[in-house]
Amino acid sequence: MSEIYRIPSADLAALMPELILSGTGVLILLLDAFLPRAQRLLAPLSAAGTLYAGWHLVGAAPSGLSFGGLLESSLLTVAIGCVVLISTFLAILASAGYLRRERLGGGEYYALLLWCATGVLLMGRATELLTLFVALELLSICLYSLAGYHRQLSVGTEAAIKYFLLGAFVSAFVLYGIALLYGETGSTRISELGPYLATGDVSALAVLGLLLLICGFAFKMSLAPFHAWAPDTYQGAPSPFVAFLSVAPKAASAVVLVRLLALVMPDGSATWSDLIALLAVLSMAVGNLVALAQRDIKRMLAYSGIAHMGYLLVPLVVLGPGSYEPLVVYLLAYALMNAGAFTVVSLLYAQPGEQHLISELAGWGYRFPLLGVCLTICMLSLGGIPPTLGFIGKYLIFVQAIDSGQLALALVMRVVYTLYMRPEVREPSGLLLDYPGRIAAVLAAFGTLALGTLPGPLLDWVKRLGSAY
Amino acid sequence: MAEFLDLLTSNSLTRVVFFPALICLPLLFFRKEAERQIKMFALSASFVQLAITLILVAGGFTGGGFETLRDVGASGEPLSWIARFGINYDLRMDGISMPLVVLTSLLLPIILAGSWRGIERNWKGYAISMFLLTTGILGALVAFDLFLFYIFWEVMLVPMYLVIGIWGGERRIYAAVKFFLFTMAGSLLMLLAILWMAWTYHGLSGEWSFSYVALMDLQLPIGQQVWLFGAFALAFAIKVPLFPLHTWLPDAHVEAPTGGSVILAGVLLKLGTYGLLRFALPFFPHAAERFSGLLVALSLIGIIYGALVAWVQADFKKLVAYSSVAHLGFVVLGLVAFDLLAWQGALIQMVNHGLSTGALFLLVGMLYDRLHTKKFADLGGLAKVMPWFAFFLVFSALASVGLPGLNGFVGEFLILVGSYRSGLIVAVIVATFGVVLAAIYLLKALYESLWGPITRDQNREVADLSLGEILTLAPLCALMLAIGVAPQLFLAPSKPDLERVLTEYESRLASAPVPEPTLYTLALDTEPAPDDTPVTPSMEAGL
Repeated sequence: MSEIYRIPSADLAALMPELILSGTGVLILLLDAFLPRAQRLLAPLSAAGTLYAGWHLVGAAPSGLSFGGLLESSLLTVAIGCVVLISTFLAILASAGYLRRERLGGGEYYALLLWCATGVLLMGRATELLTLFVALELLSICLYSLAGYHRQLSVGTEAAIKYFLLGAFVSAFVLYGIALLYGETGSTRISELGPYLATGDVSALAVLGLLLLICGFAFKMSLAPFHAWAPDTYQGAPSPFVAFLSVAPKAASAVVLVRLLALVMPDGSATWSDLIALLAVLSMAVGNLVALAQRDIKRMLAYSGIAHMGYLLVPLVVLGPGSYEPLVVYLLAYALMNAGAFTVVSLLYAQPGEQHLISELAGWGYRFPLLGVCLTICMLSLGGIPPTLGFIGKYLIFVQAIDSGQLALALVMRVVYTLYMRPEVREPSGLLLDYPGRIAAVLAAFGTLALGTLPGPLLDWVKRLGSAY
Repeated sequence: MAEFLDLLTSNSLTRVVFFPALICLPLLFFRKEAERQIKMFALSASFVQLAITLILVAGGFTGGGFETLRDVGASGEPLSWIARFGINYDLRMDGISMPLVVLTSLLLPIILAGSWRGIERNWKGYAISMFLLTTGILGALVAFDLFLFYIFWEVMLVPMYLVIGIWGGERRIYAAVKFFLFTMAGSLLMLLAILWMAWTYHGLSGEWSFSYVALMDLQLPIGQQVWLFGAFALAFAIKVPLFPLHTWLPDAHVEAPTGGSVILAGVLLKLGTYGLLRFALPFFPHAAERFSGLLVALSLIGIIYGALVAWVQADFKKLVAYSSVAHLGFVVLGLVAFDLLAWQGALIQMVNHGLSTGALFLLVGMLYDRLHTKKFADLGGLAKVMPWFAFFLVFSALASVGLPGLNGFVGEFLILVGSYRSGLIVAVIVATFGVVLAAIYLLKALYESLWGPITRDQNREVADLSLGEILTLAPLCALMLAIGVAPQLFLAPSKPDLERVLTEYESRLASAPVPEPTLYTLALDTEPAPDDTPVTPSMEAGL
């Protein structure tokens, strides 16, 4: 019996949020299988699980490394974890009505979503490349199945297949990159890679390995030119899930990118900065320009998401203590506005089929005043117009580095214009405006507005990030 | 937060700025069908707004001038808003912003009353947009923290976009989008300039600040000044609008509903000239000096071009819109003359233009409510059937033309005299032509609409202005007359502040250009020693 490896309780405590999430997921599956009548409990239960995990994350998690240095728990991971859990929570709220309307079973959905969140949290915390890869696979596989969750829809299947094929390819990239780095350095721990990479005498294979890793996470962040999957997947996947898909994996990938860049940036070589700058500029340009031409609101949000990820990279171009603050605030802003926008989309489009035309929203700002206002606020935040959190995020990035690209505004205006200045073109039918969904939309919009008006506490909290590094 | 609520409930700028926004909350709970109640509620609220503004302003008058009112917390300092970046909730109203604040609050009930019949659907949304717009305008006028100023500046944008886009005319969407894109393009550059200044200040002093007073301490090399001035001036010039950035204005004016046009012409455009006077010129004196020739030229082109284009308009509203371009050209000319008299003239002319053009837009709107046309070809012979209308139209048009005894004359005269004194003789001659042209096009408009040949039978029986409409117009005309006969009353409160800004501008201009950004050692509030800045005759002779 003495052979059994005992996990130190400190490590367990550090893993608490992930354990709660995955445990809730298992519980939900069991409930779904053995207590079919408890269907209605699934959503509240998973939401409660998320909140509980969040409470642990913020309140109880000890700082530092755990599991012998495999997982890290720092201010940055806590902040990113909060963003992820907020987006999970809002996605769960928005999903209940969607699943009921589309007559889809709920058990696997919530379980997959929670496990996916587990993977995202782990990925953000992993300081060892194989742990990172396992977390990446955990979240990717859940994402693939969720993207195709609406089995009756051919676009749903298309979305999942496209995402899966490209994603599998990218997983191979990442694994290959890890192998190369291990081959060159003899270690898979990020902290041990650092001294080797900092010597300046880095072999071409190690550089290739790093490049492959960066490509992999650029794919997850849907940065141009690795963005092609995003619009198709967003369009076909269930809208409330897209609120999660478009935020959480990107947030964790951004943290990983920060970790990797921190390895190579200090030596002052401009090459990596140039690479990141190139990705940023390309994403902003492609995202904004192509978004202009979209008629489908989900595709438009996908392209604007690409542009937003480009903005997010700007503070990473010159990585320093000041990079963390804009990163976190921008991710939070992005999480809230995306959650709000996709929730409203999922509530207002009854056929989750081929298209979600913007023009079909015409005049609905009056028919659904509350949702219309929520969508408007989220779109304003997307365009970076004060007093929304999107503006604060953009401001922080501007403080870092000066750039422009206000094309996003044209999008914003088009949605607002359609909502309020066009006569209605369709009668609402088959919609299900349930309370959790509306609450999710209101929470997201209110959060965007409130944090945009009174960003003081948030910024004070996030400021500690900069001083911690 | 508690301190903010304290301010909100006391006699303060915060209350004046946020009262309109707060009114939107109860408005939300009205049923859409209860239009009459909504209208009455909104109108009463706007009177309350006027009252609290006047109460606050009345407290600021001291012996000679207007004492700067500030909103401060218990510590005597402005409230901190985003401490991380040293951003403060700093509201101040001095003699320069006071007339415009009063004008805004005065126009609010007039706009709501003037929209009584013209807005046919969703009055509730319209009133909410107007109240939010008012909060944005008032906030931008009194914000003394540049970040805060920018927020309010942007807050104005969306309600105005909605007002044009929802309640506008046929091409409203085109006009609304054009308005939005033009203004947004300018303000983005301004944001970058503000951030650049804050960043430089941070580098020099080690702490973040967006405070107007702190950033005034920045002494920038001329190369940087030119770019920053360019960014600020572009944002403001689009708002004014200065030729050749004016093209959004006629579209916006023609398509906007009457109330939208009134607030646009009345105060929104003034934010541009106010911004020049408050920010762009004092912040970057050397660059302003370098660009003043260009600005004079553009304002002159605006005066002449606006007048000529107004002359040939077949549409009454378009004529008034283009006359705005010409009138605001005068204001900009006065500002870049850098002379106390010209500045006094420019400030009073901002108010004048708000009154007379506001009245003209209201009148055109009333006409449109009755005849559903604004084309001169369809008008004519209205003086006979609408004597009250004719009276107010002639009165407002004459005020706009600059008839001595009415307000327009005061502003234009002071601007011309001041510009002459500062040596812009050619400009004065050209601008005088503008006055003549204004007389030509406005008298042509009067003739064609009031006394021209009757082309349509329905013009023979048009209802004259109702009592409500007369009461809407009367305060505007009363003020036009009051400013015209007793200009001193209206000029005096602003004079000390204008004088201070001008002195400061000149002393900063006199200081040698610096190669690197530095901070002025002398604080803003201290008076410069007399031997530092020779007192120029222009300041002694101010009105």
